[in-house]
Amino acid sequence: MTVSVANGTPEPIAFVRQRHSVVSIVRELWDARDLVTQFVQRDLTIRYTQAVMGLAWALLMPLLLIGAGMMFRIVLATLSNTSLSAVSVASLAAKSLPWAFFSAALSAATMSIIGHSSLIGKVYFAREALPLATILSQSPDLAIGLVILTVVFPFVGVSLSWAALWIVIMMILLLIFTVGCALLLSCANLFYRDVKYIVQITLNFGVFATPVFFEPQMLGPKGAEFILALPLSPFIQAMDVAMVHGHNLLTSATVVTAKGPVVVWAPWMLGYAAGSAILLLTVGLLVFRRASTRFAEMA
Amino acid sequence: MTPTLVFDGVWKRFRRGGAHDSLRDLVPAAFRRLIGREPAPKADNRHFWALRDLSFQVAPGDVLGIIGGNGAGKSTTLKILNRIMEPTAGVVKTSGKIGALIETSAGFHQDLTGRQNVFLQGAIMGMRKAEVERKFDEIVDFSGIADFIDTPVKRYSSGMNARLGFSIAASLEPEILIIDEVLSVGDAAFQRKAFARIKAMATAGAPVVLVSHQLERIAELCNKAILLEAGSVRASGRPIDCINEYLHGKAPAAPTQDELAGIRFDSVTAPDGSTLLSGDELTIIVQGTADLETPPSTWMPACRIIDVRTGNDVYAVTGFQRDIPLPVRGEFKYRLTFEMNVAPGAYDVSVFIWDSVLLTRPIVGPPIRVSILERHPFYGVAQLKTRWEAPKTGVPEMASIEADAERWRIA
Repeated sequence: MTVSVANGTPEPIAFVRQRHSVVSIVRELWDARDLVTQFVQRDLTIRYTQAVMGLAWALLMPLLLIGAGMMFRIVLATLSNTSLSAVSVASLAAKSLPWAFFSAALSAATMSIIGHSSLIGKVYFAREALPLATILSQSPDLAIGLVILTVVFPFVGVSLSWAALWIVIMMILLLIFTVGCALLLSCANLFYRDVKYIVQITLNFGVFATPVFFEPQMLGPKGAEFILALPLSPFIQAMDVAMVHGHNLLTSATVVTAKGPVVVWAPWMLGYAAGSAILLLTVGLLVFRRASTRFAEMA
Repeated sequence: MTPTLVFDGVWKRFRRGGAHDSLRDLVPAAFRRLIGREPAPKADNRHFWALRDLSFQVAPGDVLGIIGGNGAGKSTTLKILNRIMEPTAGVVKTSGKIGALIETSAGFHQDLTGRQNVFLQGAIMGMRKAEVERKFDEIVDFSGIADFIDTPVKRYSSGMNARLGFSIAASLEPEILIIDEVLSVGDAAFQRKAFARIKAMATAGAPVVLVSHQLERIAELCNKAILLEAGSVRASGRPIDCINEYLHGKAPAAPTQDELAGIRFDSVTAPDGSTLLSGDELTIIVQGTADLETPPSTWMPACRIIDVRTGNDVYAVTGFQRDIPLPVRGEFKYRLTFEMNVAPGAYDVSVFIWDSVLLTRPIVGPPIRVSILERHPFYGVAQLKTRWEAPKTGVPEMASIEADAERWRIA
């Protein structure tokens, strides 16, 4: 079948498109690892040498977040006539780290494609390297925060157990989860320029859709069940359960409240975290690659 | 030899504006369509074809030049070749690593030093870190800015920027080479060096695709060429044939002349031919008719020569300076002869009536396109009459130069 176009030449019939599998994309990204390293190095050099505050920059966001959480908790404690314990402040600090990372990495990565639009129109390289590198260059902040917590915790009466090593696995899963989100949002933002505003608003209010500022047991058994089923909750809750309370993530954790026992961690959350991270990454890689053939036309 | 680069029936469609690129526009429009208040936009008017059934092959050892006017599809072809874009239809086959000399400093970050940028740009161009380390000295040497390599590139001049970028790209060892308008980087000395490097890369055996508006460069570097027009091949074969087809095949469109103005240029011809060597004389014959009731005293016949490549006037002259009167009534005829001491390229000769007070061209005749080929190589836009003298034997004392005029040979 041929259809006439303006000047009478027949329209083409065969549309040839290159097929990509997750394996082939990952292999191409592995070949481009030096490029990812260079992008990360560039971002870190600029962030740490340019900002006068240097290292403090890495801690500013989590500290602000902890401050906001403290305000929230002090108000709650005052209203219910209880005192704020050192452990709950420690858990607030621990839970703020993954959220601060997710929020900073995702908002930066959403802009990563559009911020390199001139480069994209001129040079070919694995475009996934851009959001990936943006996220990786945010991860030292998370690592520095974790190290500081590890050092400070024994002094505020929180002793770390071997269960805290779960955090390493959970943070790697969070990284994968964030990369998956970033792949989808960075290309969505290229096609629809207002996606960045939606991302920003969602991140501003999303902190209340995850158990960062409060603890699941505050919502009662039903509320806790709901909040734990939200996608980011396992990563946040694991900080409290494994790092602050030294609980093994392979077993359930229950807190007894006035309204009865409330499950604050269940083993399925581990699978949920891993599953959602892998699924988002797979979908992200495939959608991104499919869309990336049109980047140069949009940019 | 089997071609390592094949374009087979390649089509590329682009979208003209008018599409939604924010959700704020998309969502309400989709909703209106859903409830049937607004018909879906017709696809026909919103798209145009940048490439139409483009096919060519490049074998190892071939240097293919692509020429054509703006919008002919040259850049789109290179972008598809370079995998920046995907064809809408058709098959593109390439085998081997593609190296592109296109906007070679595109990945530079202004706050990083030259050294850091070499590694960054090298990685963007697909080089491994070890490879950049190995070639680093060579790159810096070639760029000639070794003293500034640890200075942030924001302090570089644009020439230094471009030189460093070119040097990185020139150190690639691609299996397919793509070159787009990088022949004018840096100062004249660097341009010669860069051109020599491109020539060495192009003749190293890898297939090469070159796009340039410097037609003499195409003629010099390429052994094959294609001429693109509106996304299809109009001519292919020897570079010189394609260049001639490009320069002469399409006569520039004649502007409409206002019948009421009272002067009409009927024909402009070049009886001795419109292809000549730089320095030769060009003769054109202008014929027309005039019927002016009250000839405006500010009008005068004039002629200008436009460089097609840049669109700039090379030379313009009015009849007033030569006591050539404005035709008032009846048929008229002029003959103009120019000594074309200009650089090789295409030029449009355009006759017109000049209003010396309003500074406008109330009447413009049909232009005639001429092409100038190279006689003696020279750099620049004009060939100046040069007398170059040197002593017949040895180097004379300064004082005796004037006195010993007979000892000088005149070139």
